[in-house]
Amino acid sequence: MSLLEVRDLRTHFFTRAGVVRAVEGVSFSLQRGEILGLVGESGSGKSVTGFSLIGLVDPPGRIVSGSIRFDGQELVGLAQGDMRRLRGKRIAMVFQDPAATLNPVLTIGQQMALAVRAHGQASEAAARDLAARTLTRVGIPDAAARLDAYPHEFSGGMRQRVAIATALLHGPDLIIADEPTTALDVSIQAQILAEMQKLARETGTALVWISHDLATVSSLADRVLVMYAGRIVESGAVGEVLRDPRHHYTRGLLDSLPATALPGARLNQIPGTTPSLLALPPGCPFAPRCPRADAVCATDPPDVVTGDRLVRCHHPLGVAA
Amino acid sequence: MRPLSMPRYCDAMLGFIIQRLLQSVGVMLAMSALVFIGVYAIGNPIDVLISPDATQDIREDTIRRYGLDLPLWQQYFAFLGRLLSGDFGRSLVFDIPVLELVLARLPATLELALASVLIGAFIGIPLGIYAGYRPDAVSSRAIMAVSVLGFSVPTFWVGLLLILTFAVNLGWLPAGDRGPTVEVFGIGWSFLTAEGLTFLILPALNLSLFKLAMMIRLARAGTREIMLTDTVKFARAAGLSEFTILRRHVLRLISIPLVTVFGLEFASTLAFAVVTETIFSWPGVGKLIIDSITSLDRPVMVAYLVLVAFFFVVINLVVDLSYALLDPRLRRGRAA
Repeated sequence: MSLLEVRDLRTHFFTRAGVVRAVEGVSFSLQRGEILGLVGESGSGKSVTGFSLIGLVDPPGRIVSGSIRFDGQELVGLAQGDMRRLRGKRIAMVFQDPAATLNPVLTIGQQMALAVRAHGQASEAAARDLAARTLTRVGIPDAAARLDAYPHEFSGGMRQRVAIATALLHGPDLIIADEPTTALDVSIQAQILAEMQKLARETGTALVWISHDLATVSSLADRVLVMYAGRIVESGAVGEVLRDPRHHYTRGLLDSLPATALPGARLNQIPGTTPSLLALPPGCPFAPRCPRADAVCATDPPDVVTGDRLVRCHHPLGVAA
Repeated sequence: MRPLSMPRYCDAMLGFIIQRLLQSVGVMLAMSALVFIGVYAIGNPIDVLISPDATQDIREDTIRRYGLDLPLWQQYFAFLGRLLSGDFGRSLVFDIPVLELVLARLPATLELALASVLIGAFIGIPLGIYAGYRPDAVSSRAIMAVSVLGFSVPTFWVGLLLILTFAVNLGWLPAGDRGPTVEVFGIGWSFLTAEGLTFLILPALNLSLFKLAMMIRLARAGTREIMLTDTVKFARAAGLSEFTILRRHVLRLISIPLVTVFGLEFASTLAFAVVTETIFSWPGVGKLIIDSITSLDRPVMVAYLVLVAFFFVVINLVVDLSYALLDPRLRRGRAA
């Protein structure tokens, strides 16, 4: 049985301007220990998908329908208290900016102790001990002495390690990482990526890695989901999707990577911008920006083409029409 | 990168305290000069001191005795000279040392002011945090309505209503005066006995209403802001209960403005609880200053206002020091 089974998830935000369908019918599954990359531009619904999994969608947003089965347990509609007992214990989350997530006025030790005690009694000494051991695991030297330091006394990369250690405290089955390296220096990014991959492999923790950066995901994930306008437009094993993308959007993302461009040549970019989720076109949401779009794309939403890989397109690439 | 070592931190702190104390001496000197000139301009106390039909001899003798024949600057420096030896002068009306007079009244005001700011803080902050946590709930709207009343209804009117309700109609609590006190360190306090407390409750409540309103507003605004931050989201993701998040994360993060206002309110209540003290005939310094102004009791006015400046300076110093306790980021900046 897979660890996580998401079926037709819909998370909408009920704003004054109208209903924003941030996540519109997302389905995927995740095995134990698997690393899944969730890729898309800002506003594609990737972060909202992450927050839906851990039950932290802020009002006016809520999960309107669908199912999230975590280790056999249905999370949609689960009571607040039961959801809280899962959070931090079995499903943890790491955020983008460690400077904003850690509380500046509490020591690292105090904050981690709060997270330890959120799931059962622990003496002061036991909590500190667990915190120090976990910090050592994420590569913080002299961890026991650093427990009494405040977040501002750490560098950005070290702060993110503290946040990761906090997520690891209870040995969760699933960690949702929402662009955890975006706010860091490039050299630190690589370290953190390698560290996360190693930890996930060692502990058998499954990882949902949310990122706008295909390059990052390609170096880390086993499988990748490409999201656009609240929908998954393509998914598959990382190697296959990158080598042989089927969706024109994925193709566009790959072409706009600086690493694939010829030196001195202009970077390719996808024309246009992400559509407003309040006013999506009736057909394929990518149609206005798609080089291959025709009359069908403008009127009929594409069905999921399965087979060996999932792609949501009328005219998938690399398939003989 | 490394946190400051404790001895270096303490050194920096000590330097800061000394610097502030020197500044405060300057503030109080300026204050005393202003007050001295101001009071000098109000009127001649001689007219109040002696009867109009006294002979010219008696009149001149009295003027000389109080040094009122000297130029203003000489009077001022004579006053400063005496001040340095701890002598604030004698009250013209009561004919006892001013310091004795003020210190006899001060504990009454001190406990009244402290009781009112504590009531304001201990009730206002939880209510404000709740209102900020659930801004749309009916109960939160009710809390905000109370705070609007606290700001807008005049103190004297609420005081009269309190007396009318609890003293006159219900007869539960005394209408005024201070009641019995218990001597501790030679000073009488009323909060130490149950009966003394009954006298303290109404005036303290009356004074606390404004502070309550203020604390509610501040705590609510702070909480609303903090609840939207990633710090709270991250704490939730770690499985912390909402109560723990409010108590351990939010309360700490909103505490700096709360402590600031607590200090300012405490100081200003200490100095200007006049209206409430008058309505409840509470024998504090507020009533003393009003009495001394009507009787042009110059030394009392000057001593009192210098003392008020001293309170503000000291309380602000304590508030500033508490910032460093509450926010570790400030410790580094100060030591640098």
